[in-house]
Amino acid sequence: MMDCRVKPGNDGLNQKARWMVEFALPKNSKIIGGKTWPKPASAPETREFKVYRWNPDDGKNPSIDTYYIDTHDCGPMVLDALICIKNHIDPTLTFRRSCREGVCGSCAMNIDGQNTLACTKSMHDVKDGAVKVNPLPHQPVVKDLVPDLSNFYAQYASIEPWLKTTSPTPQKEWRQSHEDREKLDGLYECILCACCSTSCPSYWWNSERFLGPAALLQATRWVKDSRDEATGERLDNLEDPFRLYRCHTILNCAKACPKSLNPSEAIAELKLMMVERQI
Amino acid sequence: MSAQNSPAKSMRTPLARVRSLPVIVIVLMLIGSNQAGAKLILGSLPIAIILLLFIVASAWHMKIGMQVVIEDYVHNEKLKLAGIMANNFFSFAVALASIYALLKLSSGV
Amino acid sequence: MTARIERPLSPHLQTYRWTLTMALSIVHRVTGMALYFGTLLLAWWLIAAASGPGAYANVQAFTASTIGRLIVFGYTWALMHHMLSGIRHFVWDLGYGFKPNEREALTWGALIGGVSLTVLVWIAAYAIGGGR
Repeated sequence: MMDCRVKPGNDGLNQKARWMVEFALPKNSKIIGGKTWPKPASAPETREFKVYRWNPDDGKNPSIDTYYIDTHDCGPMVLDALICIKNHIDPTLTFRRSCREGVCGSCAMNIDGQNTLACTKSMHDVKDGAVKVNPLPHQPVVKDLVPDLSNFYAQYASIEPWLKTTSPTPQKEWRQSHEDREKLDGLYECILCACCSTSCPSYWWNSERFLGPAALLQATRWVKDSRDEATGERLDNLEDPFRLYRCHTILNCAKACPKSLNPSEAIAELKLMMVERQI
Repeated sequence: MSAQNSPAKSMRTPLARVRSLPVIVIVLMLIGSNQAGAKLILGSLPIAIILLLFIVASAWHMKIGMQVVIEDYVHNEKLKLAGIMANNFFSFAVALASIYALLKLSSGV
Repeated sequence: MTARIERPLSPHLQTYRWTLTMALSIVHRVTGMALYFGTLLLAWWLIAAASGPGAYANVQAFTASTIGRLIVFGYTWALMHHMLSGIRHFVWDLGYGFKPNEREALTWGALIGGVSLTVLVWIAAYAIGGGR
């Protein structure tokens, strides 16, 4: 069996070796050229797609391929178009997708310069010209539109996203009032698609130390859960110049969230709780 | 180098946010006056106190603000340390020089 | 077989569509850095006032020159913008102003307010100084 462990090319480990943050792409990541695929024959109307490609097997730099899809033979969403391309034009195009209705978070990618879900983003919402599709920003690429989100998931795990209690476990269930349950609205709906975290410049520059909006929104969700008994411990865990306080309220996260959640607001709540427990 | 990042930084009184306004007024008062006139105004007690407060608050704000910027962009630990030390020195030196000048103006020497 | 692959980093600044709040976050930082070094000007001015008429005349000659006037004008704007932008951050730190229209309004407010205040201060300056 093939050992698919790959050397972490540009993840946190490598960044630490650098002196300064790099605003430009590393040499191996610069986008060079790309193939233009033929337009579908006799299509009355086409739409142009410019898609990021990188193949781990050919040793080349990433490129941008241009595809034309027949809009009369394709659903309206960007994911429909990607599936169309894969089925009819180029079967090697690689991307993640599952539910196709905005609940699984698999098809998160950068479309028209903004992070969102390909399945809920209509190609008609992209004004004139080509629909540009890139992987989630500032992540190591596994292939084409598939980023390596290991660091993102590890950070989610680091906030210990489960109920922590010291009281004896009740016979039936941990009860919660309606009011307390409502405090989790706007937090529990997160699907961990990583649109927010990978839209955050602060996360780009310090992803190895800053937890990023998604993990912090989840941290807020557990801090605010009336049933959880580890609130102080959770806040202690965030008392660090990087984990929480690299948030500079840039607000790209709130704009990117495909579920219309507001990670920046959740982070502000955390910061306020940090102050309130000191005074 | 962590305490400066505590939320206390952003929880200063709203008044501190507009501390530059009185200073603008003082600068406007000084337009057109020569050194003797400037000395008279800058050396007066309320104005010297306002400027001293402005300088101290600004120097602290400069120090913590620039430190956040350095921490954001400088990833080499030694370079970061050097940067933070230089930042501390600069903020302290500018504040001290300005304070000395103000005290001298006030003392009338 | 062990694959030894240097993974590329996906494009970030290169592809991300600029948002208003992202641009103004950078402006806040840049104005802050300008003010940081601009305090040298303030220190110079105070030291000159304390030193004597000659030194003070030098400062006045500088601020009356075109380049000096531009720098002081830029410093005024940086100060006004950074101040209003700072108030915006204070509102956010208190947990308000996160709705899409609110955060855009706050940001536009800081931008427009900063320019307006700068112009007002300079009108006042010229009115007082009589064009000097």
